[in-house]
Amino acid sequence: MGWDSALLLSLAVDAVMLTWIVVPAVLLGILVGAIPGFSAQNTLIILLPLTLAMDINMALAFMVSLYCATHLGGGIPAILVNMPGTGGAAATTLDGYQMTLKGKAQQALVLCFVASTIGGLVTSIATVALLPFLAQVGMYLRSVEMVAVMVFGLVLIAAIAADDPLKGIIAGFFGLMIGAIGTDHIYGTPRAAFGFLELYDGVPLVPALIGLFAISEAFSMMERSTIVPRSAVVDTRAHWADTLEGLRLSLKYWWLTIWTSFVGLLIGVVPGAGASIASFVAYQQARMFSKTPDEFGKGFAPGVVAPEAANNGVTSGTLVPLMAIGVPGGSTAAVMMVVLQYHGIVLGPRLFIESPEIAYGIFFSMTLSYIVMLFTILPLARYMSQVVLIPTRILVPMILSLTIVGAFANREYVFDMSLALVFGVIGYIARKTHYHVTAILIGIILGPLFEQYLLRSLRIGQGDLTILFSSTIGNVLWAFVVLSVLLPWLRSRQQERRRRVERETPTALTGDQPR
Amino acid sequence: MDHSTRITRRALCGGMAAAGLLAGLMPGLPMSRALAQSYPQRNFRVIIPTGQGGGAERLARAFDDAWSDLLKRQFEYTFHPGAAGQIGYELFVKQREADGYNLLFGNMGPEMIMYAVQKPDYRFPEDFIYFSRTDIDDSCIFVRNDSPYKDLKSVVEAAKKRPVNVAVSRIPHPASIGMLALGEATGSTYNLIPYGGGNPTYVAVMNGEADIGALPITGVLSLSSQFKVLGVFNRENIFAGITDNAPTVNGAFGTSIPDLYSSRAWAVHSSWADANPEDFALLERTSQEAHASAEFQDAFVKTGAPVESLKYGDRQVCTEYALAMLDLAKRYEPVLSAQR
Repeated sequence: MGWDSALLLSLAVDAVMLTWIVVPAVLLGILVGAIPGFSAQNTLIILLPLTLAMDINMALAFMVSLYCATHLGGGIPAILVNMPGTGGAAATTLDGYQMTLKGKAQQALVLCFVASTIGGLVTSIATVALLPFLAQVGMYLRSVEMVAVMVFGLVLIAAIAADDPLKGIIAGFFGLMIGAIGTDHIYGTPRAAFGFLELYDGVPLVPALIGLFAISEAFSMMERSTIVPRSAVVDTRAHWADTLEGLRLSLKYWWLTIWTSFVGLLIGVVPGAGASIASFVAYQQARMFSKTPDEFGKGFAPGVVAPEAANNGVTSGTLVPLMAIGVPGGSTAAVMMVVLQYHGIVLGPRLFIESPEIAYGIFFSMTLSYIVMLFTILPLARYMSQVVLIPTRILVPMILSLTIVGAFANREYVFDMSLALVFGVIGYIARKTHYHVTAILIGIILGPLFEQYLLRSLRIGQGDLTILFSSTIGNVLWAFVVLSVLLPWLRSRQQERRRRVERETPTALTGDQPR
Repeated sequence: MDHSTRITRRALCGGMAAAGLLAGLMPGLPMSRALAQSYPQRNFRVIIPTGQGGGAERLARAFDDAWSDLLKRQFEYTFHPGAAGQIGYELFVKQREADGYNLLFGNMGPEMIMYAVQKPDYRFPEDFIYFSRTDIDDSCIFVRNDSPYKDLKSVVEAAKKRPVNVAVSRIPHPASIGMLALGEATGSTYNLIPYGGGNPTYVAVMNGEADIGALPITGVLSLSSQFKVLGVFNRENIFAGITDNAPTVNGAFGTSIPDLYSSRAWAVHSSWADANPEDFALLERTSQEAHASAEFQDAFVKTGAPVESLKYGDRQVCTEYALAMLDLAKRYEPVLSAQR
């Protein structure tokens, strides 16, 4: 596309004219994202008769805004009550909830909102500018390269369980075993489903997520009167100063926001990959490049920024293959494809020539929705943070009823409600015995994808394992995997050595030993 | 004095008992017929045993534009793509009520192959029947436009020297059988790589992960700017005009591989169809009318697929095709399943 300023101006004006539909879509999306089990995909399916009846530009603006907002909304319960609204927000719980427990819920929410909106905004603008290039990225990240990307995520199991590696490894393998339930990826033969039809397609993510995080956390909450200790509650009273503190931290980590959102964008471009993977990989990468990797998992601001920026970077990424080659990059994009085709829009390269207002307009709508989101949600952080003050005797029944409905809503199987409860018990036991539930979840999310890409690669290589090291991009990624394991370890050794030297060296002026 | 008619509890109970007795004693009365004629009284729930945004959904939605007008009811879809479609079928047979409001829109070819290979514990045609075929979608071999393979012969020549990687949707699929049959007939070897659906299969061919692809042709033609069709598994290439006169596989090699095509069709529970012949006849008649309507054809064309693939088939045609697929799958069962 030649950069036609008249077209750009008209697209920007058109997007602004659609603000009236973007605002309700954003609010609905945030709500849907914040309730575990409800997703952009199933909401858009329910609303399909409405979007099919709308004008195509209006329908796209509505769908895209709702989709983006769910990614932001998922972080809210992850921070406040340790239960991610979507799979993409699971990594946010690691530091977000720890910040809440330290009485910094409002700062964590502001970090989440700013990282989400800025990450989404930057990547949606970048997508318009780099669309032809991004369309090619999906062509270079094939099964072999995706095996390495999956390993990035799996490495995180070791990182988050650094305090007790054995328990971390056990939890990770337990998750991988659960992830292996379902039909095999080559012949479609059910395995380890124990005769349950509902498990033929594998253990569904939503009940697992709800059980491991939401229900087990609700069980834990029953043991105390409020989410955070009384001393911290006093500190958590809403002040605008806390919002400003969150904004200051967001500015401090602006570069992290930008680059992790691009990690999300690149992963989103690959059909089949998604926000869950992107946020775990971004978290792991942020930890790898951090000067203080040991701070992650203890309520460290970058631990909120990285996954939130990445899972919002994914939103524009998943639309790239849909618009550029006519293949949806994810389940929500598939619903959008149905609407586009219903309106007779032919997707693929021709779209950019025949209907540039649609092809680029979708990203302009996305940009607008992120701007709307930033200004509507940011002032609300102050009030949302008050959730932690609600007595658990009120909060727990609300959480349990909403999440159980959420477990059902995704696939409409009663079985999934029971499954969520089973995972709730597993999660509760894991918490009590200090096994990391996130390590289990990583295994459940990444295990099936890792297996799928690995088996496919091995089949392409006709059983030859060296296929995994046959591509240049793949090898660069493998080198990064090795680095990501070694770097934090080397850095912590270096810091330990420095601390030891400082302890042993007498201070220059007094000759005293430092304490 | 109050002259208004008041219904006492005793009168209400007595009336209901009498009505029940009447209905029980005289089931053949016109009243039951009047009730039957009022079918359908609510919306239909449709199971699609493939993923969202795929060819089946696009076709079903285009079709129901016309069909819902005739039936005066809407269609609500749920998607159950797991286990090569087995989940959708098991759910339909075992957990959906056989009431004429629960339908299934499936792809008979691959799903009957799955039925033959996986041996699930439902029975065809005892538990469900296909009654309205919407299309015939020939299996084809395709490559990306800049592929070094320019025609079928170059593919086969290469596959005689080393196994050629073929991206397929599923191993139990008519297109996969086609590749295996081609290998058997020409002494060439194909390494089938299942991608779990049409969309990821297209990507695998586009990005060069697989050398060639084998899928139903209509989806490939909707991405004609990316792909070139090298050949079709049927006795005639009805899309010769838009596939640069791609030959049939049998024509190119003198083989006798059976016609291999996918065919989507509407299905309903057999027990309901047998017990409610008039209602079932209404479904059959209106689906045929919907198929012939301009509204359906217009909606289908919008999806980018060629209208030539639309071919109606009734219950008998569907049953014959499904049983033929079963026989074919049994022939290739050892290579289509993990049980060697």
